[in-house]
Amino acid sequence: MKIKKGFVVRTIAGKNVVVALGAASRDFGGMIELNETAKFIWDKLAAGAEKEEIVEALAKEYDAPREMLVSDVDNFIAKLKGVNVLE
Amino acid sequence: MFVIRMADINIRINNKYKSAKRLCADYIIDDASPIDMEISVTDEEIATERGEIDEQFSDGYCETIAIYRKICNRFPLEFDGFMLHGAFIECDGRGYVFSARSGTGKSTHVSIWKKVFGDKVRIINGDKPIVRVIDGKIIAYGTPWCGKENFGENASCELSAICFIERARENSIEEIEAGEAVTRIFTQIMLPEDVESYEALAGHLDVMLGKTPCYLLRCNMEDEAALVAYEKMKA
Repeated sequence: MKIKKGFVVRTIAGKNVVVALGAASRDFGGMIELNETAKFIWDKLAAGAEKEEIVEALAKEYDAPREMLVSDVDNFIAKLKGVNVLE
Repeated sequence: MFVIRMADINIRINNKYKSAKRLCADYIIDDASPIDMEISVTDEEIATERGEIDEQFSDGYCETIAIYRKICNRFPLEFDGFMLHGAFIECDGRGYVFSARSGTGKSTHVSIWKKVFGDKVRIINGDKPIVRVIDGKIIAYGTPWCGKENFGENASCELSAICFIERARENSIEEIEAGEAVTRIFTQIMLPEDVESYEALAGHLDVMLGKTPCYLLRCNMEDEAALVAYEKMKA
């Protein structure tokens, strides 16, 4: 599970914006906005982390019940799969 | 081959068809001028443009589109600029870009400004101005590519505001936050192919939105639409 080549995230005017460049842009037009947590998960995915590692990393950053973090990660991954962003 | 000066950049264009030179007539300078950018397009690139628009357009027309795409792609990284889809006008020495989805009525709206304010208003580019970040200032420029109505002139002005337009029954305008403007602006720019150019573009957008107030104008096609926008955006 990894973010496809060509997707990049940049912060513009305080918003974390994901776009597809080059070949990836042929299948994905437009942009996705990420909130702080989503950006955190995105960066981990981009670095090749698996779900368990991401949950661990989130648990260190955020004071939230583990089940909630797991469901946050699951939901976000499902969303990314839904828009065809993950390999 | 001919050379144009556009957005303070000298560009040599190695065209195949006459349409390009005709389109650029107001921007042509001496062939011997020093060159900042050189543009050639292939038959394949011309064919790709035709695929994006419509079969019925001529090779010459499709070449002009291919040329501008290539020019715009070079701006973020090399010349601190980018193409912003919108109608760019000057009024009282202030530059305004009106941006909207195609078909919303940008051209109609700026025509209303012209009708209401007369010589106080110049339509510098009806469709695809170039914006550059120069010494911390945001400057917008006319270009030969200015839309089907051919509204445009070879001029530039500091950008004072960006105004997004939506159609409505009544006229109203509000200032919007830079963050909201980001979402709207992404439908109005051309993304480069490579990451390096995109990073440069993202940086320019961040600077522009940090300095330039953005508005959302909901408007009809009456004269009042221009008056409402003018009153809110003037200095």
